Amino acid sequence: MPYEGEHLLIGQVGHFFALLALVASIAASFAYYKSTVVISEVDSLRWRKFARTAFILDVVSVLALFLILYLIIYNHYFEYKYAHQHSKRSLDVQYLLSCFWEGQEGSFMLWSFWNAVIGLVVIRTAKKWEAPVMTFLSLAQIFLASFLMGIYFFDVRIGTSPFVLMRNEFPDAPVFQDPQYLFKYLTDGNGLNVLLQNYWMVIHPPVLFLGFSSTLVPFSFAIAGLWKKDHKGWIQQALPWSLFSAGILGLGIMMGAAWAYESLTFGGYWAWDPVENASMVPWLVLVAGIHTMLIFKHTGHSVKASYFFLVLSFLLVLYSTFLTRTGVLGDTSVHSFTGEGKSLYWHLILMMITFAVIPLVLYIRNRKGIPVIVKEESMQSREFWMFVGSLLFFVSAVYIIVLTSLPFINAIFGTNWAIGQDVEYVYNRVMILVAFVLGMLTAITQYLKYKDTPRKYFLGKILKPTIIALVLSLLISYFGNISYDKNGLGFLVAIHITLWAGVYTVIANGGYIWQVLRKNLKAAGASVSHIGFGLMLIGILISSANKELISVNRTGIAIPGLKDVKGKDENPLENITLIHGVPTPMGKYTVTYVGDSSVAKNNKVFFKLNFEETDTAVLGKRESFQVTPNAFLMKEESGTQLSSNPGSKHYLTRDIFVYITSWLNPDKITDTSTFRRTAVKVGDTIFYSNGFIVVQRMLAANKNDNKDLPVVDSAWLSDVKVFAKDGREFTVQPAFLIKDNQPSIKADTVMSQSLIIKLERGASGNMELGVKESASVMRYITLKAYKFPYINVLWLGTIVMFIGFMMSMVYRLRKTLFAVS
Amino acid sequence: MKKFHIVILGAIAIIIAGLLTMMKDLTTYDSIASAKQKDGKFVHLIAKLDKTKPIEYDPIKDPNYLSFYALDSLGNGTKVVYLNSKPTEFEHSERIVLKGKMQGDVFACKEILLKCPSKYKDDPAQQKKDLEQTSAEPTAQPVSKVEKSY
Repeated sequence: MPYEGEHLLIGQVGHFFALLALVASIAASFAYYKSTVVISEVDSLRWRKFARTAFILDVVSVLALFLILYLIIYNHYFEYKYAHQHSKRSLDVQYLLSCFWEGQEGSFMLWSFWNAVIGLVVIRTAKKWEAPVMTFLSLAQIFLASFLMGIYFFDVRIGTSPFVLMRNEFPDAPVFQDPQYLFKYLTDGNGLNVLLQNYWMVIHPPVLFLGFSSTLVPFSFAIAGLWKKDHKGWIQQALPWSLFSAGILGLGIMMGAAWAYESLTFGGYWAWDPVENASMVPWLVLVAGIHTMLIFKHTGHSVKASYFFLVLSFLLVLYSTFLTRTGVLGDTSVHSFTGEGKSLYWHLILMMITFAVIPLVLYIRNRKGIPVIVKEESMQSREFWMFVGSLLFFVSAVYIIVLTSLPFINAIFGTNWAIGQDVEYVYNRVMILVAFVLGMLTAITQYLKYKDTPRKYFLGKILKPTIIALVLSLLISYFGNISYDKNGLGFLVAIHITLWAGVYTVIANGGYIWQVLRKNLKAAGASVSHIGFGLMLIGILISSANKELISVNRTGIAIPGLKDVKGKDENPLENITLIHGVPTPMGKYTVTYVGDSSVAKNNKVFFKLNFEETDTAVLGKRESFQVTPNAFLMKEESGTQLSSNPGSKHYLTRDIFVYITSWLNPDKITDTSTFRRTAVKVGDTIFYSNGFIVVQRMLAANKNDNKDLPVVDSAWLSDVKVFAKDGREFTVQPAFLIKDNQPSIKADTVMSQSLIIKLERGASGNMELGVKESASVMRYITLKAYKFPYINVLWLGTIVMFIGFMMSMVYRLRKTLFAVS
Repeated sequence: MKKFHIVILGAIAIIIAGLLTMMKDLTTYDSIASAKQKDGKFVHLIAKLDKTKPIEYDPIKDPNYLSFYALDSLGNGTKVVYLNSKPTEFEHSERIVLKGKMQGDVFACKEILLKCPSKYKDDPAQQKKDLEQTSAEPTAQPVSKVEKSY
């Protein structure tokens, strides 16, 4: 059947480039392999030349893929499944890129894109390492291209093409009986998940994927080192790449945290969600690897450990992809992807096995040549404690990944374990101790010299920072109002001592720059990123321990006997209902729901909430501000649903977050109550369920004797006062109008009292007041509000740490370049 | 023995100790019947919303009280009380994971995880369902799930 309005060519071109990317990367990988193994120099160069051409072809294909998919999304070609599932016409242009990352294929494409860019840099800079390193980089490109292949081998589809058509995917659907289905049915797409319609979601995935993708380079250098039996040379090359990777990956992870902080409704930047954990674990191992590489450079120790950590870091990137993309996490994660099913599952397992077996085989074959230093390190040496620190990074990574993998472990062994009721605490209580020891090590170890440290030097330098840090952290502990009692006294003590470790890290590394590196600031990268780490630690501890629920509601109905295992009362109830126009006390604020405004285009509603501080002690200095949380309205079969986006008020030292948990459902306005009519004259009183109503003024006019009535023929106006039980008074002005013998009623409402009042002419000609009490008049929202103090310390720490990594990278890169020339 | 070996053994000991302490906090996925036997013990229930029975949530009366009935795959049911607001798309969920404990006849729920079709747009079965609905009502733009506010 010929279909109308389809754009088939662009998809065919896209599919062609997908296959070309696969073929080109196979050719590149093979040619680079040959270039590495052939003995003759001339042959090697010839293979390399061919390999470069093939790789550049791969780069071009990947760029073309990107462009074509973007055009399909941009032009709303809804005959393509990718556009149909992930975008819609009303989507703002800046979010069109987010459509890429929402789907499986787009994210693999992004990964492949970064690999291509990184590959070009490696070709330009790696010199003799180019061929072996690019062999593996191209191998990774083969796998990534195969995820986009979408070709059937027998009955199994390998990969998923982003260019499949809706009608080919769902051939049985009756809409495709109609040649004009594009104009009649598939006129719009399903749209982007509203949670992804956030500016962080435009930049977080590209940065994170650049981080993921760049871990491949140190990994490839490590394998190349094993392969070429050059167990020392690779570290020189891999170190700047590892620093780059750790910096970018760390930044990407924290951007995700910022996104969760600003748009997810679980109230924080980190929830130990499997998806978050899976991205952090490779970073932890990579940082361990950076430290062992530094140990090697200065002492010759830890080659094996460096191999191990760098290989593991990339494998963990693959494993995290596996966990989050195949749906194994299913029930445990808020935001994991599902759906691709078994094909992707085995595809990724194959990729993991390939990238695990190659280094293993090379290691077993070539391990004899790995240099081992027999002499033992001194306890007073920097490398000893650096190694302890690296190991601790690794230990924490193992702990996190085992817990995160529980659903996968269940799937393998048929068990049904799950983390108990306080997920965060299960992680926090271990991680806080890890953080404490790491903080202490980071503070002290810089003052130790490699190999051995004279005691006098060490004590002389470290005394001052230690005292300053101790005083400072005691001040914070004392005045910081940290009283986090949810997990008992022991945990509170742990918070305070870890806070000290964080402050110590900042002061000691700052002091080290001041005392030792003053003349050589270029070398201060490590100290700077350590300061960042310390600041992050402080930010995390203070903001989490002092996070405050503003919307505490103690009026709720408690179930008797509902207490948690520790015998404490349940968490305070978190939601408060605000009725339109009624100021409601909430913590030290009085909050009023003053209105809402909707943006019809993307079905977004903005709620305006006025916050007023009611702290009477600072009379005259009362602050007031407006917060506007918003929500998308989603029409479902079961009624309109709300997808909420928090509103926030940022201060330098604290943030206030508000999000809407429920709203008067506009569908549910079914008005069953009726007007109660009473004949009235001025001065009459009518009672209603929550007070009484007094008719204060009544006025009849017609256009013959009143020139102010040009629009209607005659009018009956009234002033009616409503006295509520709680002492509030409202004035309303219902009216009854007649024009051309047609009566019309202008009713008036008292929102907070659910009242509609109207004026009518009764059968006898007397005026009657109609009073209706109706739940449908009542506009209300239910919300949660949090206060996060000092969150900016965490963000500042993140940026400082990133700068430190980049400084180190530049410093190491200079050294590498000078070493070559 | 070298110091490194001692350090590494120490690290392994820490991992084992850490994982052992974690084990005691592990809980299990249960059916409603087995959760009823473990009265008062924290479990995860995999169930679905019983749409034939009423969902009680009135934010004006109490925004922190949601009660509903859940059914598991074995056909057992229980009343669930959740002292928090009603999650978005609750009625639309196909499967729910309830974390909490049985207390008498009521499951006191601490946390609800929803599996909603709209979150899983990549699920082929759901796409198929959407498409079939599309053809059932060909006049408007029915694939779109969003509608204007009131």
